[in-house]
Amino acid sequence: MKISNLDALDEIKQQGLKKIFPGKPRIAVGLATCGIATGGDLVFEALKDSLEKRGLDVYLAKVGCIGYCKEEPLVNISFPGKPLLILHRVKERDANSIVEALTKGDVPEEKALCRIEEWDHLTSKLAYGSGFENVPRYSDIPYFRYQKKLVLRNCGLINPEDIEEYIGIGGYYPLFKALKSMSPEEIIEEVKASELRGRGGAGFPTGLKWSITRAANGSRKYVICNADEGDPGAYMNRNEMESDPHMLIEGMLIGAYAIGAQEGVIYVRAEYPKAIERLELALQQAEEYGLLGDGILGTNFSFHITLAKGAGAFVCGEETALISSVEGKPGRPRPRPPFPAEKGLWGMPTNINNVETWCNIPIIIAKGGNWFAQTGTDKNKGTKVFSLVGKVDNVGLVEVPLGTPLSQIVYEIGNGGTGGKKIKALQTGGPSGGCIPASLFDTPVDYEKLKEAGSIMGSGGIVVMDADTCMVDTAKFFIEFTSDESCGKCIPCKEGLQMVHETLEKITRGEGTQGDLEVIEDLCDTIQKTSLCALGQTAPNPVLTTIRYFRSEYEAHIRDHKCPAKQCRALITYRILEDKCTGCTLCARVCPVAAITGELRKPHSINPDLCTKCGSCKDVCKFDAVIVE
Amino acid sequence: MKNKIRLKINGKEYAANEGEYVLTVAAREGIDIPALCFNEAFEPYGACRLCLVEVLAGPYQPGLTTSCTLKVKEGLEVLTETEEIRKHRRVLLELYLAQAPESQFIKDLALKYDVTATRFRIKYDPADPLGNKCVLCGLCVRACNEALGIGAINYIGRGINTKVNTPFLEPSSECIGCNACVRVCPTGAIKFEDVQDQRIMISWSKTRVPLKQCMICGKYFAPEPLTLFSYQKMDPRLEEGLEDVCPDCRRKLFSRKEILASKGIEVRK
Repeated sequence: MKISNLDALDEIKQQGLKKIFPGKPRIAVGLATCGIATGGDLVFEALKDSLEKRGLDVYLAKVGCIGYCKEEPLVNISFPGKPLLILHRVKERDANSIVEALTKGDVPEEKALCRIEEWDHLTSKLAYGSGFENVPRYSDIPYFRYQKKLVLRNCGLINPEDIEEYIGIGGYYPLFKALKSMSPEEIIEEVKASELRGRGGAGFPTGLKWSITRAANGSRKYVICNADEGDPGAYMNRNEMESDPHMLIEGMLIGAYAIGAQEGVIYVRAEYPKAIERLELALQQAEEYGLLGDGILGTNFSFHITLAKGAGAFVCGEETALISSVEGKPGRPRPRPPFPAEKGLWGMPTNINNVETWCNIPIIIAKGGNWFAQTGTDKNKGTKVFSLVGKVDNVGLVEVPLGTPLSQIVYEIGNGGTGGKKIKALQTGGPSGGCIPASLFDTPVDYEKLKEAGSIMGSGGIVVMDADTCMVDTAKFFIEFTSDESCGKCIPCKEGLQMVHETLEKITRGEGTQGDLEVIEDLCDTIQKTSLCALGQTAPNPVLTTIRYFRSEYEAHIRDHKCPAKQCRALITYRILEDKCTGCTLCARVCPVAAITGELRKPHSINPDLCTKCGSCKDVCKFDAVIVE
Repeated sequence: MKNKIRLKINGKEYAANEGEYVLTVAAREGIDIPALCFNEAFEPYGACRLCLVEVLAGPYQPGLTTSCTLKVKEGLEVLTETEEIRKHRRVLLELYLAQAPESQFIKDLALKYDVTATRFRIKYDPADPLGNKCVLCGLCVRACNEALGIGAINYIGRGINTKVNTPFLEPSSECIGCNACVRVCPTGAIKFEDVQDQRIMISWSKTRVPLKQCMICGKYFAPEPLTLFSYQKMDPRLEEGLEDVCPDCRRKLFSRKEILASKGIEVRK
């Protein structure tokens, strides 16, 4: 049915709420890609089987991901009048015990991570109830305590495949408000008041961008959502699309109305099949409910969204390359100006924003720009979602107010290094971000401060590194990535990055020479200053920051032919300590190249000529007898 | 067209037309800015990065940018020679020397800016159909695609593997042998040869294009598909029968006609 008035919207809202509060137990399994990868789909099937076998009347649903990757698979359970419980690390075999407990109105408490008594979806507040006092509160969990969920407000709590649940928690009301009671100018003013800046990395003021596109001349206008999230280790946008696709669609609808666009494109990478599937379904549902297509909500505003699937080129995240790719041409950036706002898709004024930028729009309309601007710092308003990965204990998606110090993200939310190891550095902003040493972790996450530290905000990846990470090797890894992903159009990026990569390769092989660092620095400076697009302009960041903060590691490689982190294979040797070796033969058995010899119960030894330095022997030794030098 | 816009280059004021780029104004005024990928016939491309200038004032962000993409604006002030520009130019030329080691043009250009050697690994591929001279300025690609709409050649591969050639390195069925690519190439990388009745685009996967024979003198004078391509565009059309005659013989025909006409003799074909 097509919604055209408030009564109809209210009616759908009630239907949606009936699914969230079905008047009977509700089990919802976290089934974003991450949940599925950890076996969430098996848990879902097992729960379904078990419920069917027992003939229990339970509402079983799929939800997205609440972002605590380390604790997946996650399952939500709610009973009428009781708090919502989040169960963690649920395995297929737990299904029966969960259903068993359910029949008694209970849950296996040892599986419960936390309870949620009420939740502010920002577009409405839900009160679940009280009880289960033995289970910690959501806000007692350190991982959640310091987070502030604006963008991820619905993720992991509602069914992303059901538009009615989104409307149930107040979704599409901001669109209704925008279309029925606000002029496009008023919307742009509201976005300007929010001081929202582009979440794709560059941090351009969103309201200003919109007003430029609105003012541009063109017979047609387009809005594009950049969902070509290509940074290794970054998956904020993926989760936003998989867990709450309507939030994105609603943001684009409001933006299109404000800008005067008739068509929208979501450029999503083909490597995100689940996001594509859910977006397709969400678009179809939005159209069925009269929220997308012709005459939206009974007004004369029409807007259509199509999906364009990226073929895997990192550079297509650059807006001019993205447009080129949508047009069916190779993804190669072109010089700006003209900016897309003037001359974009098919030569028409085009407004491109990142997924997360669009996702912030509905709440800005719902709560007002001034409300939004209360969060954050002076020039950095709102929150930012980060994917916290690498050698950190709590891996997952983290949403914090801009201006939060890196230390809080890493130590309080992330709970420090994996296995209690000391953290050495972290990298923000994807492959072209800089590495920030632990001594600078009081740096607040905002666009300017990260830049001062030699890094960038980027789209929001945070990769944590500990003492076992070689900074030269890290720089080499990222330069190899950006060099591979260079489109090949301009020489500093294409040839320059390759030369930097080759020199780093040489250094990690122990063949570096005095003067290499100076050449790298000189070349990187030119790549940064003269490249055509942001890929080349930012690609040297990991190299320059690691030289700036960890120069001694480079010098150890070049001068002493040593890798202090003991990672660069050419510079290390494996040796067995005779006094520690018990002659258990385990290492000899796992060695893939038979480089280890020795008799039973007698010390073994490694033949350095055969050893490939794979580290298998060290991994299996129970007596710490294998050392790396 | 009236000169409307005033801009300053290296502190001196110059007049320019609206829509012009700083690089073209500089060239006209005799101010030296090196450039490889710029040609007024095409849209600015901004790939070679050699034409860097520094914006001091005007409606653009101050700092380094390419002058081939910088439209003149009232009040614009740029510098073409600063220590920073010279530094980046040197590094870029070093990269070009490593990328196109066989190009005399690049060597001469580098020499002009005092770059005689490169610190970077020289890339040399003995099998390179472009003779290790290509700098990927994209002029040939733009000539073939944008200007002529033929599309016989384009970029192949990505990043460091980017090359220009025909699809799948197979002889092109689209090439009309017009040699526009050869004409615009700044480094003389594209090789061709006319052998008897064929033009062989050696660099373009040995694409063979038949040549047209003059029906009067018997000389092979132009690629057959090129003549068809151009005759279609001619308005008014070429006089009937002249299509198969080479330019030399055509001239002779006309001269004879004129001479006879001056003597009052009308010639029938």
